[in-house]
Amino acid sequence: MRQDLIDYALGYAQSKEIEYVEVRGQAQVSDRIILRNGNLEAYASAVDSGYCVRIMAKGGIGFASTNLWSKTEAKQIVGLAFKYAKSANRKQKLSFTKEKAVKLRWTVDQKKKIQNVPAEERIEMLTDIDKRVASCGVRIPATISQCSIDLITKYYVNSEGSRISSFVPKIGAYFFITVEEQGKTEQAYEQFGRSGGWEAFKEWKVSDKLVHDAKVLKNVITKAKTVKAGKTDLVCGSEVAGIAAHESCGHPMEADRILGREMSQAGRSFIYQGGPFWVGTRIGSDAVTIVDDPTIESSYGYYMYDDEGVKAKRRFLYKEGIINEFLQNRESAAKLDTRSNGSSRSINYDREAIVRMANTFVLPGRLTEEELLEDVDHGIYMKSFTEWNIDDKRFNQRYVGREAYLIEKGEVTSPVARPVIETTTEKFWMSVDAVSKHVEFDAATCGKGDPSQGVPVYTGGPCLRLRGVFIK
Amino acid sequence: MNDVANKTQEIVRKAKQLGADEVIAKTTHGKYRQVRFSNNQVDITVAWNDYVTDVALAWKKRLVATQIHNFVDVEKNLKQLLKLAKVSSESPTYRGFAKGKFDYSKSRGDKRIEDLQNLTDHVFEAIEAAKVEVGPKVDSGGILLTKFERVHLASSEGPTATDTRSSIELSIRAFAEREASGHGVECSSTLKDFQPKRAGTKAGQIAKLARKPKIGDEGVFDVIFDPLIFGSIVSIWASMVSAYSIMTQMSIFVNKLGKKVASKIVTLRDNPAPYSLSNRTFDDEGVPTKENIIIDRGVLKTYLHNNSTAKIFKTNTTANAGLIAPSAWSVEMDPGEMNEKELFTEVKRGLYLTNTWYTRFQNYAKGDFSTIPRDGIFLVENGEIKKSLKDLRLSDNALAMLGNIVGVSKERQHVHWWGEADPPSLSPYVLMKNVHMTKSK
Repeated sequence: MRQDLIDYALGYAQSKEIEYVEVRGQAQVSDRIILRNGNLEAYASAVDSGYCVRIMAKGGIGFASTNLWSKTEAKQIVGLAFKYAKSANRKQKLSFTKEKAVKLRWTVDQKKKIQNVPAEERIEMLTDIDKRVASCGVRIPATISQCSIDLITKYYVNSEGSRISSFVPKIGAYFFITVEEQGKTEQAYEQFGRSGGWEAFKEWKVSDKLVHDAKVLKNVITKAKTVKAGKTDLVCGSEVAGIAAHESCGHPMEADRILGREMSQAGRSFIYQGGPFWVGTRIGSDAVTIVDDPTIESSYGYYMYDDEGVKAKRRFLYKEGIINEFLQNRESAAKLDTRSNGSSRSINYDREAIVRMANTFVLPGRLTEEELLEDVDHGIYMKSFTEWNIDDKRFNQRYVGREAYLIEKGEVTSPVARPVIETTTEKFWMSVDAVSKHVEFDAATCGKGDPSQGVPVYTGGPCLRLRGVFIK
Repeated sequence: MNDVANKTQEIVRKAKQLGADEVIAKTTHGKYRQVRFSNNQVDITVAWNDYVTDVALAWKKRLVATQIHNFVDVEKNLKQLLKLAKVSSESPTYRGFAKGKFDYSKSRGDKRIEDLQNLTDHVFEAIEAAKVEVGPKVDSGGILLTKFERVHLASSEGPTATDTRSSIELSIRAFAEREASGHGVECSSTLKDFQPKRAGTKAGQIAKLARKPKIGDEGVFDVIFDPLIFGSIVSIWASMVSAYSIMTQMSIFVNKLGKKVASKIVTLRDNPAPYSLSNRTFDDEGVPTKENIIIDRGVLKTYLHNNSTAKIFKTNTTANAGLIAPSAWSVEMDPGEMNEKELFTEVKRGLYLTNTWYTRFQNYAKGDFSTIPRDGIFLVENGEIKKSLKDLRLSDNALAMLGNIVGVSKERQHVHWWGEADPPSLSPYVLMKNVHMTKSK
């Protein structure tokens, strides 16, 4: 990446009648290994680098990007961004909040540098996982295994005087298995992710998890009972707590969505000015506090400064059941007369930075998991989920259990097949009467933006206990 | 031959010199322009230029791929790629890239789209059309996206090809009230056929009808699918006919070739024709693209193949090669015999769904899934729209739905929307029996 050209583009843009300009360069080494049924299907590796210019002029925003590193091209894209900003012709002029200028470099350390791990070793690791899963005593007719590595270098400059450079290595893995028993199939996937080095791969204990999943799916086919529809207590494992926190707290608390900027694609929010829900409104029980925190070291969604040069920090979204703080970038914060809380992310140099989550999770309580369960006379324990979705105002959601059991007199007993909770955000979080004290995280890829920008995140939480919810 | 084509061929020659057995290089110079708008105003206009060569090479049946940007460090990249191939292992799927010299149809990329200047004019045309339907208080948002690509492909196995690919699409969602919205799209490969007003009008009309929605009831319904939501449903079936989906058990069509999978009135084709948003004259192996009948009057006729999967399935490539796996380009459902109005008259009591999002499966092999209709949802009685509804979820089975199609309209529309109706399709209004709807409790 040529920082001199990025500085040049900034300087050239500043020679025009602009209100704000930033130039963000990104160089990325990407590596993808794909196995099918334990055999290497394909290996893709690439290096890409480019930069974008975002200009605010006459209350409009223009954005242009390129992967050509020349002064001529830099001038051209600055010209395009400037032209587009001016042509917005908005009645309500846009602005960005002013933020503190910083000059620094931040990086994520690796105990075992990914760059130093030979490709053979990585392929062998995936092959070994597949062998172990294939020999676990469950018939598995199809597997897909993927490992991704991204070494991301960024250089960000803006007209406020910020100069931020960073280096983040990210490692991810994805596995999909199909189990077949008695002529029936069940499927499951697992995703793993970390900001850091190759040491993460062993810590994930991938084989153990996949073997466990395979046995769970076999049980779903051969042993699991169906659920009798009706109101009952529900204990959600951390994976279910995490997806619920992400979908029905994180997303509706994105300020750009609240303001309507995503209305045509990712949608709006049940939270809006003049509506029944706003900052200070109750949405859950006292037991519910959900945060979004990019500063968790080594997390998949980790960053120290966002893609608008704003320092990252923990955001309390729902605090003791009350709507508390939206996720903000410079644009949304200016519209709502507040400050950015460092929630602006972009997946690459050719994408606009927009309001995103990082690591969204329910904060822990005081009970052990056993204490949470022992107070349930009859209920369902949904440890993990398969199919899920939520409407575009983030109010009506559905989670279908993958690994789930009956709870009888405080004891986890027989497996149940595909229990479904389909309920509203308010009912879900208001029904929580207790949460356990141990938080676990799962890696996920959060989708938003047009063109779509899948960003790495953690979802997570402790176990949640919901009272009297409808399960079918 | 121009400089870019020469450089693309040079990559293939160089890779062969370095020891590759087979090589394909595809250079794309893409110009993409986008206007994003909300609250009836432009939020941002975006330009991105991309100069990239995708390279796939095989060495002793090891398949590796990379991207080279703007022809920088070609030799270094190729050496690195071959190094990866040598530490890799044999791909069980790879059976060679397509061989031969081909004649290609003429590229019809519309240069006017590349040169388009006043992007926001088209946006405001759509917004004004929605305003005409809903009134001045309409709140609308969406995107305008233009694409112009020059593509050069060279293969060590014979094919060399050049193409220009263009598209312009507008997506607008109009709100008449906070929970009363409609979505319209306008998709074209040429500027001449692009009429953004149509999208705005459609979005506005649905939004107007959707006012004061009530929470709908669960149950099993006859449902009329608007072309936009049907485009989303079609995209499910399209992804599942890729031979790769079959091999990975991510499909309801495993072991179903030659069998009845849909009702007799269903004929589905994949066709990246000049009028399609996915227009192209060759696939990523350089094979001339063509129309493929996927389902012919209810019977599954073919999976979609590249050269390797075709050999595995003992058939010929359907010219659907991506660099790694085959995929559908642009799906068409054959028109039916009724017009839209006649289709509605078939419904005594049912629903009209206009759009959906967030489709997720619990099991791709079985086909159990749910998706969440958004924008206008209507109760239809005796062929008439009676009530606006909200907060319903479609929870059904992808294979059962194919069999439950009982009516297809003559009218069809090119639809594409974000990742929800992708790949693009030419979709009719469709009447389906026994569709399961659920809601929050």
